[in-house]
Amino acid sequence: MIVAKRKPFDEIKDMLKGYKKVLNVGCGTCVAVCLAGGEKEVDVLNAELDMARRLEDNPIEISGFTVERQCDREYLEALDAVVDEYEALLSMACGAGVQFLAERYPKKPVFPAVNTSFIGVNQDVGWYEERCRSCSSCVLGMTGGICPVTMCAKGLYNGPCGGTNNGSCEINKDQPCAWYMIYERLAAQGRLDCIMDVVPPQDWRNQTPRTVIQPGYKKPEAA
Amino acid sequence: MAKKSGSVMVVGAGVAGMQASLDLANSDYNVYLVDKSPTIGGMMSRLPCIGFRGVECQRNMSADNGAAPRSEDSFPTNDCAMCMFSHRLNDVGGHKNINVITTSEIRNIEGELGNFDVTLVDYSDDEKESKVQVGSVILSSGSQTFDPSALDFLGYQYPNVVTGEEFERLINESEPGTGRLMRPSDKQEPKKIAWMQCVGSRDINRGGNGYCSSVCCLYAIKEVSLVKERMGADLDCAVFNMDIRTFGKDYEKFYNNVRCQDGVRFMKARIHTISEDPETGDLNVRYMDEAGTVLDETFSMVVLSTGLEIPKASVELANRLGIELNHYNFVKTDPFQPVQSSRPGIYICGLFQGPKDIPESVTEASAAACLAGTDIVESRGDDLEKVEFPEEIDVSGQEPRIGVFVCNCGVNIGGVVDVNSVQEYASTLPNVVFTDSNLFTCSDETRDRIKEMIIEHKLNRVVVASCTLENRGEMFMETLASCGLNKYLLEMANIRNQAAWVHANAPDMATQKAKDIVRMSVARAANLNPLQEKIIPVSKHALIIGGGIAGMNAALSLGKQGFDVVLLEKDAQLGGFARKLHHTIEGKDIRAYVEELVSEVNANDKIQVMTEARIIGSKGFQGNFVTQVAVGSGDDMHNIEHGVTIVATGASEYQPKEFLYGEDERVLTQVELSDRLEEKGASDIESVVMIQCVGSRNEEHENCSRICCQSAVKNAIHIKKLNPDARVYVLYRDIRTYGLLEDYYTEARRRGVIFIRFDRETPPELKKTSEGLVVKIKDPVLQRELEISTDLVTLSAGVVANDTAEISRIMKLDRDSEGFFTEAHIKLRPVDMLNEGIFVCGTAHGPKLISESIAQAQAAASRATTFLAKDVIRLSAVTAKVDTDHCVKCLTCVRSCPFDVPVFNEEENCIEISETLCQGCGICASVCPRQTIQLSFYEDNQVTCKIDALLAG
Repeated sequence: MIVAKRKPFDEIKDMLKGYKKVLNVGCGTCVAVCLAGGEKEVDVLNAELDMARRLEDNPIEISGFTVERQCDREYLEALDAVVDEYEALLSMACGAGVQFLAERYPKKPVFPAVNTSFIGVNQDVGWYEERCRSCSSCVLGMTGGICPVTMCAKGLYNGPCGGTNNGSCEINKDQPCAWYMIYERLAAQGRLDCIMDVVPPQDWRNQTPRTVIQPGYKKPEAA
Repeated sequence: MAKKSGSVMVVGAGVAGMQASLDLANSDYNVYLVDKSPTIGGMMSRLPCIGFRGVECQRNMSADNGAAPRSEDSFPTNDCAMCMFSHRLNDVGGHKNINVITTSEIRNIEGELGNFDVTLVDYSDDEKESKVQVGSVILSSGSQTFDPSALDFLGYQYPNVVTGEEFERLINESEPGTGRLMRPSDKQEPKKIAWMQCVGSRDINRGGNGYCSSVCCLYAIKEVSLVKERMGADLDCAVFNMDIRTFGKDYEKFYNNVRCQDGVRFMKARIHTISEDPETGDLNVRYMDEAGTVLDETFSMVVLSTGLEIPKASVELANRLGIELNHYNFVKTDPFQPVQSSRPGIYICGLFQGPKDIPESVTEASAAACLAGTDIVESRGDDLEKVEFPEEIDVSGQEPRIGVFVCNCGVNIGGVVDVNSVQEYASTLPNVVFTDSNLFTCSDETRDRIKEMIIEHKLNRVVVASCTLENRGEMFMETLASCGLNKYLLEMANIRNQAAWVHANAPDMATQKAKDIVRMSVARAANLNPLQEKIIPVSKHALIIGGGIAGMNAALSLGKQGFDVVLLEKDAQLGGFARKLHHTIEGKDIRAYVEELVSEVNANDKIQVMTEARIIGSKGFQGNFVTQVAVGSGDDMHNIEHGVTIVATGASEYQPKEFLYGEDERVLTQVELSDRLEEKGASDIESVVMIQCVGSRNEEHENCSRICCQSAVKNAIHIKKLNPDARVYVLYRDIRTYGLLEDYYTEARRRGVIFIRFDRETPPELKKTSEGLVVKIKDPVLQRELEISTDLVTLSAGVVANDTAEISRIMKLDRDSEGFFTEAHIKLRPVDMLNEGIFVCGTAHGPKLISESIAQAQAAASRATTFLAKDVIRLSAVTAKVDTDHCVKCLTCVRSCPFDVPVFNEEENCIEISETLCQGCGICASVCPRQTIQLSFYEDNQVTCKIDALLAG
């Protein structure tokens, strides 16, 4: 799941300072689940903005509309009829959602209300941890299901480095050394041979936006 | 013979009497609850904080949601017992089957079980006598605190020497805001406070009470904890004691938490005198430490931890009723019949039975209710007023027609708020078609008038502006229902607490605020909808898990009332751990008792016993459980339908890893020593060393096992009786012979048993030498190392819960870290589990004596009866509903619910909130990120409309 965190309130308020009528668009999928941008957070943020702007004698008319997913155009359609009434849009979706919204309504200023943080897991209510950097070349099969790109501070493909320190990483003793964990897990499974060969480095240069088309599907003509 | 009465009289309206009354009333008996004081609540309502988990209530009175702490993390706070207790006062006061009779006493009881004639005398009415017919009687007249005035060496005449109860009031009255304590003489903050334990207890020289009062250690520790919390690390607290007796469930953990705080000392000492420095008001405590050195120390305040004793009035009452008392004036009971008095049909519970803490009192109260009800089971329901409700009026589509009833509550509201102007204002509000004001809206007459007005003015919504839904809601809801209006069309405006009480000094503003509150409530009333309560049938069968003493007692208690019982036992025969025991400390034959129980169980045709039974699966909820049981080794499977479950899985003796146990056959446990004494006697024993707290009060098992001190004392006396020349040493940390057990400790010492204390940090050492076993210990009195050669070493091994991991997983039952099942509330709901319809008793709940297990088993049966006596259960309509179309299954509700109600239904692929299990707390509705959960009666618009109405004013 994509995990996001609401931006500091003052930053959001600042972005909207020149606008009097704004639609706050929530997203009912990842950011709702991680308690950052669903119906409830839209309502809470709108109430805060309403109060803050009233106190500044600069009232704002702010409405909320939470779509199922901002990264699916079919769900954005529901906004078509109302968007024109507003001077600007605020989006509580992840960065993908914000861009998709902006793409659909190119004449409207669109502002992000959350910082998209990472792809992660839900440890408990409100507690999320990063697990994946979406590097496009997964090595989890050979690393015992522990991602060295995400979990190692250097993102090393061959480790551990000289900074490993009794199971911790040199950057911080509370940060576990990913390669230590990888070693332990593979040793327990009797699969240490998986990491005996040196893996050539990944070419991280010239990163361009990636596209995925699942087998059996193709890019629609119109898109 | 005359037909038996369907009523029970309960004498004494303290926490025990209230519990007994509620159990009986909820089991369809008519109850007369008599108390000599003008109010109900007893001693407990005078305490600002009733126990260690009540600490939190001082800080945050609103924190209570009635749920028990779920994990060790939240220990030892998290729930405020006082709030629960005040709910209970309301439950008793408002119960239609309980007749509360205050300022009255029992003059006499004539007749016999089934048909008692009770003569009451009313002191508020010129000592007028009246007669009441009941079938059975429960005495729960409680105790009084020991008066230390006569013990002049304790200095109670000085202003800064107070009793524990007085100290708790001082804490309660302490400076608002800062919460700092001021001592009585000069209103200065005390710097050093000393607690004197065992004042009026364990003292046959001067106090006259040889027993242990059982509660003073815990309350002193609680007081230390409360005062430290307020005054911080600078305050020095010293507790002078002989032994610290934190034997109750989890009490040892609380003791350890307090003990290790800075500035807290627990000192083994005897007090010589307490004298005052007249200049400063400070107190000099002269005491003798363990080594016999006389020392002086100055304190700013001294708290006397006074014990409990039976008031003269109770002794006279017992004499009038012909009930036998023991030498300390507690009611004489048999260990196997712990709540039965010497007069058939009269039962006893709480402190009049013996010194004890709140959970044991509440447990006994339920046990007494069980027996008192069973006596008259054929007349159950006969003495109740029959209430028939008319058919419900359909209000759908009607415009709201709101009636507002404003209450003066005597002077409670009317003394501050201008009720007439509030009423007048209410009549101007939208949709209001009728208003009224009343002296007491909750009186019978006013409720009859509300009924008339509903009919006359065709009201379809009612606002009562008085106190709270929690307080009187059920009562007014019934008023609505009695004239055909759906009970959920009621709204209450709390102008008592929110206006009159908090703004008592500003009547104008209080009146204005009362108007605002009424305006909000009227807005809400207009948005209320009729709700239908779910009615579920109750399967009148009980499933009891565990066929030991507790399980068999629970089975018999229910079987005798005519309920079908399935009793499961994992072993091939009934009896449980008790089969390994011989005699109680009082000398009662346990094995004979077990045999008697087994044959009684087998002879009862309502009880079906399944031995070698294993629970395979379980589903359902209160009133309607289905449990799958496999019997024997084969595939003999049974599906048992039952309305209630009683968990009585028991416990065993810890198998020590310490002190050469298992390596040397001269090292035995107490249970094995009993066996040996039965088989071989003690004539060949020259000396025995007993080591206490083996497998208890250590890092692995932090709690006290409660019963091992009395086991050691029991066996020590047994040896001395068989062979007075045998030398018996008991090496102990604190001797915890609580309550009347203290007599046996005294007897053991009198018979020459030698008790030597050691600290947790310096345990005794056991060595095997060529001459035999040698135990090394440092004697704190002699201040030197002793080496004791001995024939036998006996380990007082603790109590460990039986392995119930499987059962607890299958039936979703909470256990603590030691594997004992968790009760819903440690003080006030000691046999209920958090899951409705499931109860726990015996050592499955925690270590306890046989007599205590029996009482708890009867209590569990009583609590179960409150379900089984009903044909149906009506569930509150205040439940959460999830809109599955818009739910994103984020699991936030699943993870946030304190009752684990929302679940992901894998078949339906959606989140499901069971109407039957939902407790209506509303947490899920508030955390749902997609706002797809609504709580009936508190839907979003029903809450926000109040805010809108407030802002619109």
